[in-house]
Amino acid sequence: MRVAHPTRAKIEVEDGKPLLELEVVKVSYGGIKALKGISLRVMPGEIVAMIGANGAGKTTTLKTVMGLLRLAGGTIRFAGRSLEGQSTEARVEAGISLVPEGRAIFPNLTVRENLELGAYLHRDAKAMKETIEDVTALFPRLGERMKQEGGTLSGGEQQMLAIGRALMSRPALLLLDEPSLGIAPKLVHQIFAAITEIAKSGVTILLVEQNTRIALATSKRAYVLRSGEIALEGDSKELAHDPEIKAAYLGG
Amino acid sequence: MLGVALVLDFTLEDLVPDSSIRQLMTLAACNVVVALSLNVINGMAGQFSIGHAGFMGIGGYTSAVVASHVHHMLGGGEPTFSRSFVVVPISLLCSAALAGLFGFLVGLPSLRLRGDYLAIVTLGFAEIFRLVIATAQSDEDGDVFTRLISRLGGQNGYQGIDNQGVPLYAGPFWVFGLAFILGVVAWRIKFSGWGRALRALREDEIAAAAVGVDPTRYKVTSFVIAAVGAGIAGGLMAIMRDGTPLVNPDNYNFQASFDAITMVILGGSGSVTGSALGGVFITFTIKAIEQVQALDFIQELRTQFPTLDLNALRMIVYAIVLVLLMAWRPEGLLGERELFQRRKRNEGGDDTGTGTEAEPAASGKAVKA
Repeated sequence: MRVAHPTRAKIEVEDGKPLLELEVVKVSYGGIKALKGISLRVMPGEIVAMIGANGAGKTTTLKTVMGLLRLAGGTIRFAGRSLEGQSTEARVEAGISLVPEGRAIFPNLTVRENLELGAYLHRDAKAMKETIEDVTALFPRLGERMKQEGGTLSGGEQQMLAIGRALMSRPALLLLDEPSLGIAPKLVHQIFAAITEIAKSGVTILLVEQNTRIALATSKRAYVLRSGEIALEGDSKELAHDPEIKAAYLGG
Repeated sequence: MLGVALVLDFTLEDLVPDSSIRQLMTLAACNVVVALSLNVINGMAGQFSIGHAGFMGIGGYTSAVVASHVHHMLGGGEPTFSRSFVVVPISLLCSAALAGLFGFLVGLPSLRLRGDYLAIVTLGFAEIFRLVIATAQSDEDGDVFTRLISRLGGQNGYQGIDNQGVPLYAGPFWVFGLAFILGVVAWRIKFSGWGRALRALREDEIAAAAVGVDPTRYKVTSFVIAAVGAGIAGGLMAIMRDGTPLVNPDNYNFQASFDAITMVILGGSGSVTGSALGGVFITFTIKAIEQVQALDFIQELRTQFPTLDLNALRMIVYAIVLVLLMAWRPEGLLGERELFQRRKRNEGGDDTGTGTEAEPAASGKAVKA
């Protein structure tokens, strides 16, 4: 997996500094406070998980980082620079990529067109070709279905396509929103194996998941969100043995 | 192809002596342009505009006025083929520019409005345009704007300078040639990176934004492009030889917008060749219905039932055709597919080699026209 895009300036993070940092981030939908001041850090090369129930604010957090929702307070820093006032396009350009919730692929476009759109802001033919090679090496099923329309793929394949598309911009930071949602258990394991693979090549990952077990098994650290606030944070292995987590999210 | 159009310009009258059929052919070509342009908004961008006639009207009036004035400046007389190379481009460029400007203005609300709300805005625009022109009275005491608008002839339509009529410069060469060129342009747009981004936006706005497609820019631009296309189509119709030599507000009523939508939906929303097919099909269907009206049987019915409204009858037949078609093929004749589309598009040999197992070609054609 080739990372760093040739058309993008190299992203440099000082030692010990996070790649992504949220400081007391607040977001509201109308009058409802969806995020009540969230602070979290993702170090370069880490897989960090965000777990929590429906409506805890996990998706909201990712959308806010991506610039799809407006910040009501707080700061988001990427590689040391504030993202304030930056459009979604600028954030993609800077090296952040989102895999939206619920297999948000383009169903009437072919697999290839879906992937090419992922490289929309980096139209470098050679880099695009190489990245498609990388993506199809990671997900051979996609390579077999390049000319099929996205909507004709199975749920798991659509999720692979969504991840592949997000990788096309060769992001430094990959935001994954519920990659296991509605997917056959066998494919869930394949997808998480691929996520580990992606992280090994040097992409930093912030993962939102309802499947707590697999999220904690895959990630290094995790944050537990509860109604717009961070309730717990720590090492994933430790959290997996935390009695409270076990009771609430792991079914005993 | 342009050569064919050039030859047709001189020979069409001999080939097709029936002027009503000639008119139908050129009108069909114009309607192809109408359908292709509306397809950019309704098909590719997934917005819903029901005011396309407004843009056609702006194009029509602009080119009629500009053509009349240029013709006047050139000294009047009969429109000649060589002069059309001056008059037609100038007229149509003005049409395209003005329609594009209005496309931009109407496109702006599309950023905040969705679906039916946006549709109402576009309809409102088209109706305002039509009524402003239709209700303008010549009033020498009125302000500048009123006086200018009233020069357009109000309900009776624009009659050219000193009521001499609009010079009809656009012969078959221009009509067929432009329809062909714009068809190629529409095709290129659909399969360009731009068209792909637009289609992505239609399918999932958040996902499209997440890959870096700016929804704002794309939505407004799609409106501008569609308006420019409609402006050219309207402009062509206004100065078309064999056409209706009258530019009047009723040509741009809701019925015209509705016909345009029908062409796109019937041919296949999102499909370039489908929309073009829809344009031809609707033009000829409307004509066929008119022919049916002239049948003795129908005329006899009319003598028995004097209240029978033949226009309403036409709408009923038209509606039945549409209902049946939508029942059988809700996605339109072609859906989003294209005729003549190569199964495997090799764009600079970017094939990874892993996905070359071509699926069996569904349609027999495998060659691009």
